[in-house]
Amino acid sequence: MATNNKLKKVKAGRDHIADNFYNALSLSDMAQHAHISPYHFLRVFKDTYGETPNEFLIRLRVAHAKKLLITENHSVSEVCEHVGYSSLGSFSSLFLKQTGMAPTLYRRKLWALSAEPFCFPAQAIPACYARHFLGK
Amino acid sequence: MITSIAHATIYVLNQDEALDFYKNKLGFEIGDDMKVEGGFRWLTVYPKSNSQLQLVLAEPKEGPMFNKEAAEKIRSLIAEGAFGAGVFETENCQQTYEELVAKGVEFIQPPTEQLYGVEAMGLDNSGNWFSLVQR
Repeated sequence: MATNNKLKKVKAGRDHIADNFYNALSLSDMAQHAHISPYHFLRVFKDTYGETPNEFLIRLRVAHAKKLLITENHSVSEVCEHVGYSSLGSFSSLFLKQTGMAPTLYRRKLWALSAEPFCFPAQAIPACYARHFLGK
Repeated sequence: MITSIAHATIYVLNQDEALDFYKNKLGFEIGDDMKVEGGFRWLTVYPKSNSQLQLVLAEPKEGPMFNKEAAEKIRSLIAEGAFGAGVFETENCQQTYEELVAKGVEFIQPPTEQLYGVEAMGLDNSGNWFSLVQR
């Protein structure tokens, strides 16, 4: 477990990722904000949060892309750009790897479930909440 | 076997105002913020260093679960401080307390030694209490 001081530094790096995930971010950018060397940043980050900085970055980008695909009428390339990827190919394959389906298929499937356009279908939130608040 | 807790609900009076409080005062991150069909807003937050348990910020509204009277009753109970969000852990209760006080967070108990650690008790901007504990 990281010491308090190291934890603060790695948190600063993590905050930087969370606030800037839609920009191009390299490991050295992240480590620079944590004021530690890239190698140490990677190691302490993984020890502290259980995932690498890059895994965290991908998780944030894919989660944000999912929201955009459902709630906005952007094209997949626009969504890709919005979440910080310059290559549509690498965005699509990451998305596929994380969610098990390509971005367009994900959008089509969820839009088919939703009764209202540009709204998340109730099925996309935990069913207990949908039942409680929406009666579904 | 149950392995962890993923979501817990806290009722708030206004989701926009609660989000501002949990994000900008307590420093939480937004988990999900989505408009769901039927006019429901699915809003979750979590402390920056741990996303395993997310707090669902929900508004008690007239709907399938509550009739108008029940929703109003719950709103007045929230404002009276009848509900709590639970215990938030901190590495340093005194320091976090001072940071939060400086940001204008209201406390009903300053950091106090307890058998299990140091604890302060604050209020969110709906009136829900939360406990700030250093173990």
